[in-house]
Amino acid sequence: MLDLLGKIVQTCDGASRRNFLKVGTLAAGGATLADMLRLRAMAAEQGASLPRRAVIQLWLGGGPSHIDMYDLKPHAPAEFRGEFQEISTNVAGIRISEHLPLQAAIMDKLAVVRSGTHTNAGHGMGSQWMLTGYQPTIEVNDNIYPACGAVVSKVRGPNAPGLPAYVNLPRRLGLGNAAYLGASYNPFAPENDPNSDGFNVRNLKLPGRVSADRLGRRRGLLGDLDTIRRDIDSHGDLVGLDKFYRDAMEMITSDQAVRAFDIHREDPKLRDQYGRNDLGQCCLLARRLVEAGVTYVTIQAGGGWDTHGDNFAQLKNNLLPKYDRAVAALVSDLSARGLDQDVLVMTLGEFGRTPRINGGSGRDHWPGAMSVLYAGGGLKMGQMIGTTDARAEYPTSKPASPGCLLSTMYHTLGIDWHTAFYDQGRRPLPILNEGRPIDDLV
Amino acid sequence: MVARVCLTGFNASIKMGECDFPNVDNGPRQFCTTRNRHPASPPAMFNHSIPVMSLVVALHAAAGLHAAEGIAVTPAKIRFDDAYARRQVVVSVNGGEGALDITTKSRYRMVDSAIARVDVHGYVQPVAAGDTVLEITWEGQTVAVPVSVGSLDLDRPVHFGREIVPLLTRYGCNAGGCHGKASGQNGFKLSLFGFDQQFDYQALVLEGRGRRLFAATPERSLILAKGSGSVPHGGGRRFDPDSEAFRVIRRWVEQGAPREAADSPEVVALEIEPGDRILPLVGAQQLAVLVRYSDGTTRDVTREAQYNSNHERVAAVNSDGLVITSDESGEAAIMARYRGQVAVFRGIVRHGAVQSEIASFPIETEIDRLVADKWKKLGLAPSPLADDETFLRRVTVDLCGRIPTADEVRAFRADTGSSDKRARLIDRLLAAPDYATFFAMRWGTILRNSNLAGSTQAAYAFHNWLKDLIARNRPYDELVRGVVAASGEWQDAPAINWYWQMRDDQLHQVTADTAQVFLGIRLQCARCHHHPYERWGQDDYYGLAGFFTRLGRKSFGEPPPYFPAARVTTGEKNPLTGQTPEPKYLAGPAAQFTSEQDPRHALVDWMTRPDNPFFSRVLVNRLWGHFLGRGLVDQVDDMRATNPPSNPELLDYLARDFTEHKFDMQRTIRQIVLSRTYQLDSAPIDANRRDQQNYARFYARRLIAEVFHDAVDQATGSHTRFSGVASTARAIDLPHEGFGSYFLDTFDRPRRVTGCECERSSGATLGQVLLLANSDEVENKIADGNGLVAQLLKQTRPLAEMIDEIYLNALGRPPRPDELSKTTAYVAAQDKPQPALEDVLWTLINSKEFMFNH
Repeated sequence: MLDLLGKIVQTCDGASRRNFLKVGTLAAGGATLADMLRLRAMAAEQGASLPRRAVIQLWLGGGPSHIDMYDLKPHAPAEFRGEFQEISTNVAGIRISEHLPLQAAIMDKLAVVRSGTHTNAGHGMGSQWMLTGYQPTIEVNDNIYPACGAVVSKVRGPNAPGLPAYVNLPRRLGLGNAAYLGASYNPFAPENDPNSDGFNVRNLKLPGRVSADRLGRRRGLLGDLDTIRRDIDSHGDLVGLDKFYRDAMEMITSDQAVRAFDIHREDPKLRDQYGRNDLGQCCLLARRLVEAGVTYVTIQAGGGWDTHGDNFAQLKNNLLPKYDRAVAALVSDLSARGLDQDVLVMTLGEFGRTPRINGGSGRDHWPGAMSVLYAGGGLKMGQMIGTTDARAEYPTSKPASPGCLLSTMYHTLGIDWHTAFYDQGRRPLPILNEGRPIDDLV
Repeated sequence: MVARVCLTGFNASIKMGECDFPNVDNGPRQFCTTRNRHPASPPAMFNHSIPVMSLVVALHAAAGLHAAEGIAVTPAKIRFDDAYARRQVVVSVNGGEGALDITTKSRYRMVDSAIARVDVHGYVQPVAAGDTVLEITWEGQTVAVPVSVGSLDLDRPVHFGREIVPLLTRYGCNAGGCHGKASGQNGFKLSLFGFDQQFDYQALVLEGRGRRLFAATPERSLILAKGSGSVPHGGGRRFDPDSEAFRVIRRWVEQGAPREAADSPEVVALEIEPGDRILPLVGAQQLAVLVRYSDGTTRDVTREAQYNSNHERVAAVNSDGLVITSDESGEAAIMARYRGQVAVFRGIVRHGAVQSEIASFPIETEIDRLVADKWKKLGLAPSPLADDETFLRRVTVDLCGRIPTADEVRAFRADTGSSDKRARLIDRLLAAPDYATFFAMRWGTILRNSNLAGSTQAAYAFHNWLKDLIARNRPYDELVRGVVAASGEWQDAPAINWYWQMRDDQLHQVTADTAQVFLGIRLQCARCHHHPYERWGQDDYYGLAGFFTRLGRKSFGEPPPYFPAARVTTGEKNPLTGQTPEPKYLAGPAAQFTSEQDPRHALVDWMTRPDNPFFSRVLVNRLWGHFLGRGLVDQVDDMRATNPPSNPELLDYLARDFTEHKFDMQRTIRQIVLSRTYQLDSAPIDANRRDQQNYARFYARRLIAEVFHDAVDQATGSHTRFSGVASTARAIDLPHEGFGSYFLDTFDRPRRVTGCECERSSGATLGQVLLLANSDEVENKIADGNGLVAQLLKQTRPLAEMIDEIYLNALGRPPRPDELSKTTAYVAAQDKPQPALEDVLWTLINSKEFMFNH
């Protein structure tokens, strides 16, 4: 029923002939970390140091309702169109939901792809597809393919030393892991809600019984006693661990990471602007983190987007006001700080929702069409890209596959998504196996 | 000897990507629901211009080669009868121990360049009929190689299969990242790596509205214009307009793009010259690759083949077949691939001089004899034997998944009189319940024993079933049959949870897992295309899948009962036939059985036959990898001709012994841990510092998540309670992965979603370090009111004794004198003994010695 292959006109892959593929070793083969480091060193030598780019990804787990947010169909039959009205935005001709008024006021700083689409209506598989670019064949509770944040962590690392490259807020995302890239590229997460008064990062603050002096003494003793030879293994794990110890101690003792995570340093007025809730404060914390040097932040924007029942009340009373405020505040704040060219904000879920309203005033899973929002990152803003049919069921122009949606993000980070890494079967798998950046955005 | 891997059963008419692509009516296939689609191009090597490092090793002479003035050249004479023929010469000098390549160091001159040409790399091509001589000069010596060129038909049709397709492969056009991927690229799709010549001809010549080829002005053909970058090409410039590739393709287009003649000979084998060699450090070895056709002719394809090294740190290879060694010693297998054929060259860079005896390594077991034989050849010498405390900790971790208790350490140390104390320890551990518990956990991990989809009870049952089989040391084939041919309700056949956990994609997942877990073959590639490095094609994949097509399951229960069905229960089709896959043994015949028989039993019968080449080898390799830290074949379940074992004789011996002794796992395990090889120290000595493949020392590795978790508990004298399981359960006792634990998740406990051992990753994370060094969780264990430090203080023992106990509990050994003095001084300097002793315990838990099995 959800097979919509026959309806796809043409995805962004193959729509144009941009010169994107870098010829060379990385395009064709399995790149090692050493390759990456060499590449980075080469780029640095040539004076082409990569810009300090970062991504804040809002993950609307459960599947946000595109037809009630960015792709309203006021002329569709009643059983489709829903009860929300369109409002105009500060970009002529673009209209979005009445429950996104703050975003409507800064539409010139946003771009929405209305023609996102894939074919898997399961949460687990759909999520994995949208977070990795690969459709898994089996519903499992961990990544088979690496999540995009883990890829960025591996390829780019942190923008500043002493900070993790890839952070999940507020907790680790179920499918945000590194899979075959290796556990070192799994996300770091505070495992606490930044909206709570006592917010701190799990295990970053000294344990109650341990003072800074005592930790210092322990480190001294460890330095004296941890003398086993570092060449007894064959993978370099021992040396690697030493580095992680240094980094972690640096994080604990220097105030750089502690400050970056310390949301209490923000002006209470700005905190209000983001919204005093988990999503708002995660967005604010994400901005602090990318400013400090984190490269990729994925925010779990609540879990309530799976609105099988009571879709409209859920959206207008709970989900959309928080989401609207958080995104508008984040985008405006980044822009005010001059970071909008360097930081990409991206909001997406695993699929859209059925345009046909079900018996419980809800909408069900619908991967045939979904809306994905981009802001900043040097992309072209103030536009709606792609169209869907009269019932917002399928794209009628510029359909964008998960690979298209993600390669647009990789593009802003200067990452060649043809770069391949070996999976457990020693198959060289490129970062993405289909898709190319969306023309209208880049 | 010529290295050769002969691929049989390769079906040239496989259509890449058909299996995963539904047809789309309107327009090209641009969008995909495909599964596991990926480009599978090999890692690209260097470009042509590798700087060739100078040879620094003394030259030796070897007997047996065609020699003149000490220089040997292969071939001894060159004959060309075809305008497109080429020949790479390989030049060497002779030494006491073997030939040393000087191809890159020699100078080449063709006496009559109107007859033939040679480039600076020794690559020869014909120009016109006649005879001439190739002069090869090295350090003042010159040898002459006769070159004769027969009448060349310069206008003969270019062969599509022989000349064009290899170029598409060499220049990456049909690689998985480009036009070879299942969706093609910009509407132009080729078969992956050129496995399907008919398909490629169709794509190039007949599709694309004639734009791809343009006979009147060949340069305007898209293949040339884009390939050479004269019009914008997403893949960039692949070859120069003045390259030979360009000229050959242009000639073919000019000729009207002829098809390959229907009766043209097929490729039957690939050969590499020279045979396996000892290579110098920081040196080079030119390879020549020859292809043999079904009509008996051969052809040099050195510059058309593709190359890959399995160990680039030791020896890398460039696209012209030049192997470059580094300052790293070891062994590398260089694979050459050409049109579905592969051949392997093995290069050994010695660690030291060849030895006839290994001093201080008395040989009492077959394992040690075979390992030492290899060391002699490689010039390796072993580290000394590990001391008793180290051995006790190592073997307790490897057999029982836990660190030894302080009492065990004391008892083992106290036993000074008996010469067989290590053997008796091994017997005691193998008889202990922890041995079965630990190995049930290891098997449960790769057999996907999860509690997902309502399987909590079945997961317990499966875990207990494995534990029971292992505790009773039932033969391995019984375990395999119980899993692969599981049927019934979960209470009677708990292994059906293996099927149930793969239910979403059962036929394919079960096929892939059976191949990987029990046969050591990574067959996934062959679902959609011929395996790029192996002999497996789609017919093999679907042949194995055929054994699982008659498996029914009821519609009630989680997991539901599974049963052998009389009829087909899957809608999956073999894309080659369009029919339901029919069972066929790998590299063997179709299976015969009646409708009453469960074909899965026929599969297990075949797997467990004494002459099955896969079954025992992957099990003993898996065990060897578990105990020695690296499989003889690495990874342990990736056994293929192009990934050879580091010690084939040892692998053969272990597999044969295992088969001959009725698949007795404990026998193999006992042999391994009793061997002196397993008992070596992990600290390298000069003579094995670079060894990473031949076990001249013990390779230390991190404790895995569950074992490490329990080790922290044990060392601190605390106990973590898991909810929903017996209060005494440790992490290694947990039957499935569903027990919440930040500790275990942070240390990367497998989620049991693949059949691959490699799901356990050894990488470290910040979260791990923060948890160990800076968390309330671990701090509470260290300062536990009933924990080790608290107990010691209650006993009011002297400080040195308390420190001794802390060391025994954490590291399985007493402190050395310097450690004792440092720690006592540290404690004495603090106001209160308790926090100071906690600091000592913190330090040991955070030490690498604690985290590693060494």
